[in-house]
Amino acid sequence: MTEARIHDRGYMAYDGPRHGPGRAMANLSYHTVQRVLGLKRSNWQKVLPAIALLISFIPAIVFIGIAAFLPRGDELGLESSADYYGFITGALFLFAAFVAPEAVCTDRRSGMLGLYLASPLSRDTYLVAKAAAIAAVLATMTLGPPILMLIAYTLADAGPDGVTGWLTELGRILASGTALAVFWTALSLAVSSLTARRSLASVGIFVGLLASSAVGDGLAEGADIGDSYALFNLIGLPFEAVFRIFGQTNSEGPPIGEVDTWLIFATLIGLIAAFGAFARWRYRRIEITG
Amino acid sequence: MSDIVISARGVQKSYGSNHVLQGLNCEVGKGITGLLGPNGAGKSTFMGLILGLRPRQGGELNVLGVDPDRSGPELRTRLGYAPEHHDLPGDVQAADLVRHIAQLHGLPRRVATERASNALWQVGLGEERFRPIGTMSTGQRQRVKMAQALAHDPDLLLLDEPTDGLDPVQRDDMLTLIRRVGSEFGIDILLSSHLLEEVERVCDSVVILANGIVGHSGTLQDLGSAASGFKVELDSDPEPLAAALVARGAAAAVDGHSLIVSGVDSASDLIRDLVADLGLGLRRLQPRRTTLEDVFIEASQ
Repeated sequence: MTEARIHDRGYMAYDGPRHGPGRAMANLSYHTVQRVLGLKRSNWQKVLPAIALLISFIPAIVFIGIAAFLPRGDELGLESSADYYGFITGALFLFAAFVAPEAVCTDRRSGMLGLYLASPLSRDTYLVAKAAAIAAVLATMTLGPPILMLIAYTLADAGPDGVTGWLTELGRILASGTALAVFWTALSLAVSSLTARRSLASVGIFVGLLASSAVGDGLAEGADIGDSYALFNLIGLPFEAVFRIFGQTNSEGPPIGEVDTWLIFATLIGLIAAFGAFARWRYRRIEITG
Repeated sequence: MSDIVISARGVQKSYGSNHVLQGLNCEVGKGITGLLGPNGAGKSTFMGLILGLRPRQGGELNVLGVDPDRSGPELRTRLGYAPEHHDLPGDVQAADLVRHIAQLHGLPRRVATERASNALWQVGLGEERFRPIGTMSTGQRQRVKMAQALAHDPDLLLLDEPTDGLDPVQRDDMLTLIRRVGSEFGIDILLSSHLLEEVERVCDSVVILANGIVGHSGTLQDLGSAASGFKVELDSDPEPLAAALVARGAAAAVDGHSLIVSGVDSASDLIRDLVADLGLGLRRLQPRRTTLEDVFIEASQ
């Protein structure tokens, strides 16, 4: 008996339900997360995101191990959530500079941006979906480890005292992690909007961050013309904001440690808004057809 | 349902001091319509306005009954677009790309997966659908672009230079596919091109843009039935006949052994009589049809 095969399936019209632009945004975000993490891509594309995620989670796993297996871990100098972000600076830097540009630069280079904007997505909803995808991965790195540590410390009887203390700590972690994820997302999007080449965007972010650090600290500390100039340090600013959320100052960063808390938050929010507005302005100018 | 798919009245679009569209008026009906024009005529700009990617600066534009400036996202759900460029992400499988675009156009995931596969079969890439696009030829990439534009079952398909970069065989296949999509699938198509022969082959109607306005629009059938004189073919030098025709008030242009005669009533009777009087051998006497090339050249000028 021979096997029957249908070679021409014909064209079928579709009269079923259709989702709106909101679902398109969610789908684009999901697809972008997969892409930046290197899923469904070659192993080489998975290396950098894997390193960034490992750097962000390994210290937490070590601290959780200490808390779990050594009695009275808090007396052994377990790191606080605020201090933890110091351990993952490199991971955030690595991701924002070398992985996140993949989310947008490749769309322009490969022509996908034209296909996206010919769908129910608009330039604004496209950018929001891309930002959400980058922020989601960054938030995994900024929220995941501290929350894991909080839970593990609590189970090991080394966590905050009382329900109020525990909820306060959780609130601070959520605020800090979100602030860091949003800041690095906005920065990465703004620089990436300047070019269709991922490598150029990476170099731009890398050099820009190092330059801002040198200029900010140089003006505040070297030239000694005012602590507020340390706000130019785009690496130090978001981490100082985290310390302030936890009611501390960064003892290892004297210049910015002297700046008023309100000015730090205002600068951080202002920079996020400026980076976002710049990326939006850039994308409104990009020609899609012709 | 209206037979007008796209209606433009006085549409204007400028980039700085460059006035790309200067009061464009046209109506695009159902079927396959060719959007012709020389480079820089405003074809891609017009497509961008139809997609609602850019706001126009004046005039009225209605696509599938809605204004793209006001209802861009809703309208684009019903549009399929295949861009001119050949760049697509090389490390993505064709089936994944087509499904992804179908989902963006509102199809549920399961339906999008099914229709992506079906669309790739329809464009002749059924066996290749799980190949990364980077390993495909230019012709196959053009087919992937066509599949992603078709998978969500659009009401109107916008094809921007769909045969660009294809060899003659691939071009022939693509034109056959476009004709099939327009006739069998029942999807209206606006096909941007600067190649007259492919528009003549697959389109029902044509809109010719020149210098930011519509130089001509209408059906190819009307174009072909519009007589503009006679073509006379002799077996000898046509100059004596040309001179005799001009002497009787006709316009006669010599083209090798042929004459193009116009500008006089009852031209066929006059030509017959003169050929007999001059003792010439007549090989052919037929009404001369206006070709798309004639109209294109006239519109472009």
